[in-house]
Amino acid sequence: MTPVATRLAGLLALVAAGCSGRPPEPPPTPPNVVATIREQQLPNIELVTHEGRRVRFYDDLVKGRVVAINFMFATCRNACPESTQHLVEVQHALGDRMGRDVTFLSISLDAERDTPEVLRGYAEAHGAGPGWYFLTGKHDDIELLRHKLGAYELDPVIDADRTQHTGLVILGNEPAGRWKAITALGKPVRIRQAIERTILPVTEWPTGAAVVNEVPYEENERGKEVVTADEVAKLLVRDP
Amino acid sequence: MFSRRDILKIGLASGAYGALGPGPRRRVFADNLPSSPRTTPFVVALPIAPIAQPTAAFATRADPGDCVNVDGSTAFHVHGPRVVPTNSQFFLIHEQARPHSFHPQLPANVIWGYNGMAPGPTFIARSGTPFLVRFVNDLPQNDPVGIGEPISAIHRHGGFQAEEDDGYPIDTFCTGQSRDYFYPNEPADGLVQNEESTLWYHDHAIDITGPNVYRGLAGFYLSFDAVDSIAGELDTNPQALRLPGRMVSLPSGEQFREFDVPIVIQDKLFDRNGFLVFDTFDHNGFLGDKFVLNGAIQPFFRVARRKYRFRFLNGSNARFYQLFLSNGQPFVAIATDDSLLEHPVTVKSFEIGPAERVEVVIDFTNTTLGQEIFLVNRLQQTDGRKPDGLVSPGTQLLKFIVDRDAADPSRVPDTLRPVTVGPQQLLPQVRVKRTFEFERSDGAWVINGEFFDENRIDAKPKRGTPEIWTLKSGGGWAHPVHVHLTDFFILSRNDSTPPVLERGRKDTVAIGGPDFGDVKILLPFPANFRAVPRPVTGRFVFHCHNIEHEDMRMMGQFDVQP
Repeated sequence: MTPVATRLAGLLALVAAGCSGRPPEPPPTPPNVVATIREQQLPNIELVTHEGRRVRFYDDLVKGRVVAINFMFATCRNACPESTQHLVEVQHALGDRMGRDVTFLSISLDAERDTPEVLRGYAEAHGAGPGWYFLTGKHDDIELLRHKLGAYELDPVIDADRTQHTGLVILGNEPAGRWKAITALGKPVRIRQAIERTILPVTEWPTGAAVVNEVPYEENERGKEVVTADEVAKLLVRDP
Repeated sequence: MFSRRDILKIGLASGAYGALGPGPRRRVFADNLPSSPRTTPFVVALPIAPIAQPTAAFATRADPGDCVNVDGSTAFHVHGPRVVPTNSQFFLIHEQARPHSFHPQLPANVIWGYNGMAPGPTFIARSGTPFLVRFVNDLPQNDPVGIGEPISAIHRHGGFQAEEDDGYPIDTFCTGQSRDYFYPNEPADGLVQNEESTLWYHDHAIDITGPNVYRGLAGFYLSFDAVDSIAGELDTNPQALRLPGRMVSLPSGEQFREFDVPIVIQDKLFDRNGFLVFDTFDHNGFLGDKFVLNGAIQPFFRVARRKYRFRFLNGSNARFYQLFLSNGQPFVAIATDDSLLEHPVTVKSFEIGPAERVEVVIDFTNTTLGQEIFLVNRLQQTDGRKPDGLVSPGTQLLKFIVDRDAADPSRVPDTLRPVTVGPQQLLPQVRVKRTFEFERSDGAWVINGEFFDENRIDAKPKRGTPEIWTLKSGGGWAHPVHVHLTDFFILSRNDSTPPVLERGRKDTVAIGGPDFGDVKILLPFPANFRAVPRPVTGRFVFHCHNIEHEDMRMMGQFDVQP
């Protein structure tokens, strides 16, 4: 219903209640965030795993779980190899928490070519273990899912280029209603830390010095140049 | 998709005065996002946040109050207990979840606010009197609303403070914990000319600053000295500018600042039942369709026929505004971000990007009693990329009702705060320049090709040594870029002299898109803290203040060298 229609309906209901002596409607209660996200952002589309199993996105893959979702396709040569390599490293770092505390979902943007068999080959070639599903399905369904999860470009020309959507990891703790995203192209340690911040209650989040120092200190002053006296002199004569 | 021209046409059709149309859809697949329910404009008085009250001195704690990490680790910056000068004032602020009314036609929403309020209490600081503020996190661990996470770092935006007090995103504290922040309340390097004016404080925790600020964690921090004084228009000190504003004591004994009005503008979205909505799947920059001023949707403000000082802060996550008065009256701009301007500037309108502040004087002297004047935003924005352009008539944000006369001893002198150490003095000392390109890459945003990494230093400026930074942006995105620790001068925008409102000291500057382009800024990098003497060193961040971009790691850090 449009807001105006809602208001009209509410008004009519009030009038009706006044006439019949029924008690007024109870005040609205705040929405349940988990239900809202389930209804609005997590379409229950049908997918096929790299093991050939037919699954539903929400019912079978997301419900009750912590998930790390990325979009990829087997022939992608842009960000995909790096993204996948980073997720492989995260998988190793997570150890036996993979599949237990977090599930990886890598969804193909090339439904035509990425058959379950192709994806199984891709998974095996990259050493993907338990708790990591490579998924394919109907093109339109996956496009819908991609947009719902926020892996889209506002510019339709760029959005049509699927290589642009392979650099994100969408992190969700479904039962907690906690969703965010991180780049797959940052350091694997940072992806793992963000996954931990998705799994754990905030009181147990890795923060502070341990987080900073888990990656060796690095300096990269790219973009730095020495200024010449000439250049400064030119700037000085600028219009005040 | 809508073309820019379509958007402008729709804006013309739907932007009728008083009627807040939902506007065009923000994105093709956003049909799940509601339009907010209709609310009658101008039925609520503009709320004014109470002034933060000092408390008895307390012993400062060692940092952290950090969250209990599984590995027992501590915050990155560990200091204290602090040595606090004997003239310091102490404050205790609790972050709390409290019901809040954005509008009487909407149900109460549980916001997160400093002392349970949105905006939080306003600090009023006097240069030379440091503040020690303990922020206590009383936010609920299991929050049913699902906007934000109960973990905090407090950044005093525009403030000159040490690295451990800057709200470094990794120095967080959790529910049941607290962290002490020391604010020297002194201008950088003791220069009277860059005494800050309108600062603000807000959450800055890693990954979740956007939802936490949206939920309500923001407040004003006003800084005064002998020139721009707390006594304001009633000051008898000949040094004082006597700008509009004065302190009055209410019968309750509380202090209230009259004729000097901070206003934070935020956009929010509500579901059909009137409950706050935030889209954690939107990383482009979240936009609302309700305009909330000091926590109330489209309020009114009764004014006397005299001059007022208004301190506008854009506290929105991603929206830019361009503000006009409905009667065509100009604004007299007196300050931007961190400092009073050298001279007042008369403008018909001004643009204000996320996190920027613009202070103006509005003179109601020549109005008639009963007259109604509207503050109007005419800048249309339909997604997180950038503003689309001006529309007419725009959206009324606030109604001024002229309802009385009042004496006006205030002045707006021709010279406000002269620049004694500006580009002419600083430029000859510059030896280093840097270029930072803010770009979109593979679904996220990078600075010079890099995402924020907690242990990578992107620049090593030397304390007390000014630098020139060129800030660039490609791909049609606007980015309001904020630098911590030091304010800066804008040397040029698109290689041209910056517009008049961008010639004062700033800490946030919009770049990118056809309107903003590239900017060149001059950063002084202060040398010393004086309240508690120590050299300025350490790690500070700089980032895009479209908070969704910031949370997606469009952030870098510099380490000031001794």
